[in-house]
Amino acid sequence: MTTATATTPSRPGFKLDSLTQRYLFLILLIVIASVGFGIANENFYSLANIGILLRSIAVPFLLSMGMTFIMLTGGIDLSVGSNVAFSGGVGVVALTATGSAPIGFAAAVAAGMAIGAINGVFIGRLRLSAFMVTLATYALARGMALVIYNADSINVSDAAFLWLGGVSWGNMPVVIPFVALVFVALSVLLYKSTFGRDVYAAGSNINTAFVLGRRPERTLVWVYVLSGALAGLSAIITVGRVSSGQPWAGLYLEFDAITAVILGGTSLFGGRGRLLGTILGVLLYGIIINGLVLTGTNPYLQSLIKGMILLGVVLLDTLVQRRNAQ
Amino acid sequence: MTFKRTFASTLALATGLAGGALADEGKLDIVFINDGHVAPYHVAWLSGFEDAIEAYDDAFEDIEITGRWLSAEGSLEKMIQQTEVTINEKPDVMFVNAINVDAFEPLVAKAQEAGITWIAVHSPMESADYSFTLGDVANGTNQGMAMCALSGGEAYKVAVMLGQAGNPSGEARREGIMKGIASCDNVEVVAEQPADWDTVKAQSIAENWMTQYPDLDAISGVTDAYMYPSIAIATNSGKDLEFFGYDGDIPILQQMQDGPVKADILLSGTREGWNFVQMAYRIHKGETPDKVYDFFTPLVMSEENHKLALANGFPEDVQVYYVDQALDVAAKGYLEFGPDSVK
Repeated sequence: MTTATATTPSRPGFKLDSLTQRYLFLILLIVIASVGFGIANENFYSLANIGILLRSIAVPFLLSMGMTFIMLTGGIDLSVGSNVAFSGGVGVVALTATGSAPIGFAAAVAAGMAIGAINGVFIGRLRLSAFMVTLATYALARGMALVIYNADSINVSDAAFLWLGGVSWGNMPVVIPFVALVFVALSVLLYKSTFGRDVYAAGSNINTAFVLGRRPERTLVWVYVLSGALAGLSAIITVGRVSSGQPWAGLYLEFDAITAVILGGTSLFGGRGRLLGTILGVLLYGIIINGLVLTGTNPYLQSLIKGMILLGVVLLDTLVQRRNAQ
Repeated sequence: MTFKRTFASTLALATGLAGGALADEGKLDIVFINDGHVAPYHVAWLSGFEDAIEAYDDAFEDIEITGRWLSAEGSLEKMIQQTEVTINEKPDVMFVNAINVDAFEPLVAKAQEAGITWIAVHSPMESADYSFTLGDVANGTNQGMAMCALSGGEAYKVAVMLGQAGNPSGEARREGIMKGIASCDNVEVVAEQPADWDTVKAQSIAENWMTQYPDLDAISGVTDAYMYPSIAIATNSGKDLEFFGYDGDIPILQQMQDGPVKADILLSGTREGWNFVQMAYRIHKGETPDKVYDFFTPLVMSEENHKLALANGFPEDVQVYYVDQALDVAAKGYLEFGPDSVK
């Protein structure tokens, strides 16, 4: 006996996945914010202001890229802001001691990677909580920065060392093409390499990844090292921007990075998200900060507005995901 | 639509820039960029600044006076961005309380190229047009000497709560306090600890000190923000401690009349905010204040304590305000720096 089952063929339709919906929503918010701020203050569209905006998001952008990799594995890195201060200190001291900008660059990136490696080993190999470990290195790196600098700034005059963070071609900061190159490189790494697939696998289900022989513990170490390297690059840009090494550089940048990544749709639980979303998150966040300054918005209200936008986007995302699940 | 709007905005901007190249005598736009906005001193400071802007704008009909303040919330990067954006807006005068002055050197030059008067706040800058300073070392010395004079020659143990490591203003205040304390032999500094200008950190430090040093006589601080939790903890735990503050916050000044606070430095955020606007107005009118402008910051004591201190060798030439007078000028910044002061 056979049973004939009558099924209504589903009409092939155009349906966007939830991440794409999120990106379109972010683009809409960016357009609305830009138009609104442009009306409120015509200076918003000036080339000089666009240059300032782009320069100001360069460091959050790099840190957010690293944070995206980490959050894709289900982790978090609270130490990146302190790491910017620490690796900048190591770079500036190396530059001062040797007079060589390349050695200064290498020292800054290596110092950033060292903090990342500590995070990675404790989290990946020893399976400790990412929150606890990076909270510890958040304090550790800041403390080491204060010791290195003796709590005071160090002036830097080496033109090569300052070039990346300080020089502009007209209104275009040179750091922007650099950041774009980093984005392309990281995109290739995430979407076109085995390492990228391991990152998603570790975040989706670490036990399954382990059983499948993807060695997620090793992947975790490397994503934190990558985040540390990007903190080192951020330190070089920061030193160039202010012509000095600063022991208090990077304060609270970890929160900006986490905010941008969450805005961009990367899941706090790992396994879901893309770098494109993070770009949009950083851009939206940067535009809002820039626009609030330009419009002279009361700083008491600024925190409120930023919090409401973040809450609104996350709420909307949750609703969209629930609807899709149904 | 977007293109049209962008084009119109760009055109308007170009026109505005062309017009802005000529100094507008009928307008004075003042921006104050501060490192924070939540500490009681900051709240009073920013409120004094806002009130003064309004008062000056009302008092002088020939000139439109506008102003706004920004807070970097302790972040160097945020302050840099705010400063860059503000320079692009081309106000007439910028007061910048830089988190670290070295980081702002490149921006001072940019501001000056744009015709903006840069006034470095608290930490002097050689490159700035003016520096608005507090005489922190001298003030700290006065606080330390007051401690010596009021301790009465007996063995006296004090713990000193410092600012953020490396902050020039905090370091200068510490230097002054130590210098003042060194003027006598009986005062011993048993502990020093930075509290990063943070009231919450100050609370845990004060708790630790009171446990660790049961015979502690006094707590000295480089800001009144530390006094609030310290006084509360001492009161709640029944400790009979004395306090030496720095800032002239009104609630702390009020605790000098028969209270545990023995001396304070009268900065007063309200006064300072008013002084900013007065200074900007004077510059706009063509006056040239001292390149390093020292804000007038007398020591505050009760009359009884001042007499006691003088009897114990406190220098007579240190200017002291008694509490009532200090409270009056702290609450009413216009008394010293209002429109009447420049008419």
